[in-house]
Amino acid sequence: MGDDFKNRLKTLIIEALSLEDVEPDDLADDTPLMESGLGLDSIDALELVVSVEKEFSIKIKNSEEARSALRSIDTLAQFIRERQAASA
Amino acid sequence: MVSHAGSTQVSIDACDCLTALGDAASTCERLKKGEVALKPHPALENDSEPVPLALTGTLEPTTPPRWLKPSLELLKKAPDEPWGTAKYPVVISSSNFGIDQMLAAYTTGEERYHGSATPAHAVQTLAEACGWGPNRFIVSNACVSAQLAMIQAQRLLESSLAERVLVFSFDFLSPFVVGGFYALKILNSDFPQPYADRETGSIGLGDGAAFAVLSRNPAPYRIAAAACLSENFHMTANDSSGAGFRGVLAPLADSFPRQGVWVKGHGTGTLEAGRLEAEAVAWQLPDSPLVSWKGALGHTLGSCGLVELAIVLEAMRTGEVPGNVGAEPPYFTSNVHRENFSAKDFGGVVLLSSAFGGAQAAHLVTRD
Repeated sequence: MGDDFKNRLKTLIIEALSLEDVEPDDLADDTPLMESGLGLDSIDALELVVSVEKEFSIKIKNSEEARSALRSIDTLAQFIRERQAASA
Repeated sequence: MVSHAGSTQVSIDACDCLTALGDAASTCERLKKGEVALKPHPALENDSEPVPLALTGTLEPTTPPRWLKPSLELLKKAPDEPWGTAKYPVVISSSNFGIDQMLAAYTTGEERYHGSATPAHAVQTLAEACGWGPNRFIVSNACVSAQLAMIQAQRLLESSLAERVLVFSFDFLSPFVVGGFYALKILNSDFPQPYADRETGSIGLGDGAAFAVLSRNPAPYRIAAAACLSENFHMTANDSSGAGFRGVLAPLADSFPRQGVWVKGHGTGTLEAGRLEAEAVAWQLPDSPLVSWKGALGHTLGSCGLVELAIVLEAMRTGEVPGNVGAEPPYFTSNVHRENFSAKDFGGVVLLSSAFGGAQAAHLVTRD
């Protein structure tokens, strides 16, 4: 999976959640997004889900799927790729 | 913070409800047969994904509001008192009130929707139609609204500020409500299976309204204890230790009857909260069967506590309790009871509600 794609994803996360003083390079691909790591809560997760659905034209079906996809940048990138491939 | 009403001398003189399965008697009977009122319904106008809803009418906003006529029909069954006067207050609860009207006013710009668009205006509309006086209280705290309204009524009675109190709660679905839960991803195309241990979960939503008349007069059904608690953990998430679910049950313990209790849980079908609730009940009341009826009726939101109280009383009256409808095992805990069972084996019932923000409420109802 290309770095460009992950950088686009990191930029989206920073913009969607208005993360101050955070650059894409600050986010490691395996950084946990929820609780520990970036420390997103359920409201952040919802905002991010809405942004991801809009940006990549995919559907996240339920809260369990969202929680699983949002484990890290890596898992989110993989989830988006798989969902896009399935609908292609 | 826990508020403990302790042992009370408050009776339930009258109680009934309206659900997608009818009044309390009809709903209870149909729940015993395992009937599920939830049906797939498009979540949004521009979205074809169906979500489980239990409707009593159209979702679209109407003038007068679609909740007015069924609410008035239901309230006709309440005992006749000078409601809204000094000693006969009315406590009205909802988690939505006129949100259907507010959204319609916003999207259409039409003046006709403004009359019932706020909680105060919605209650005013009901009060004018029913002839209620000005002694009215409005209680709204998401999905524990109706049980908090009952606690408010108990306090009025216990402090001799009232002779009798009418508690009324109504929550009818609208595109705003359905769209909101759908956006949260906790309402999706799955059907709710309360307390079932699954990979994915969903709630269902349902229309509901109910009333109860409380007094200090001797009556067969009594509120033996009540408690409410706010976890103060997070605006949407429960404390993952389950402390909130255990904490609201603890103050009731001194009032449990010797014959034991059964538990009408909150049980919306969400996985995390469902597991925490089932584990808390199993830990504190290991011999008590646990049921939820939201797999059949959907979640009637702020009104669920009062709607389900009416069904509880009907189950106690008929002697048979509907089991945990719409959910297949395996369950989170072994105390979840799938089959109908006899109410006569127990001295009372615990009713639980939970809400966003970790708000919890519990009532213990006994039969003399």
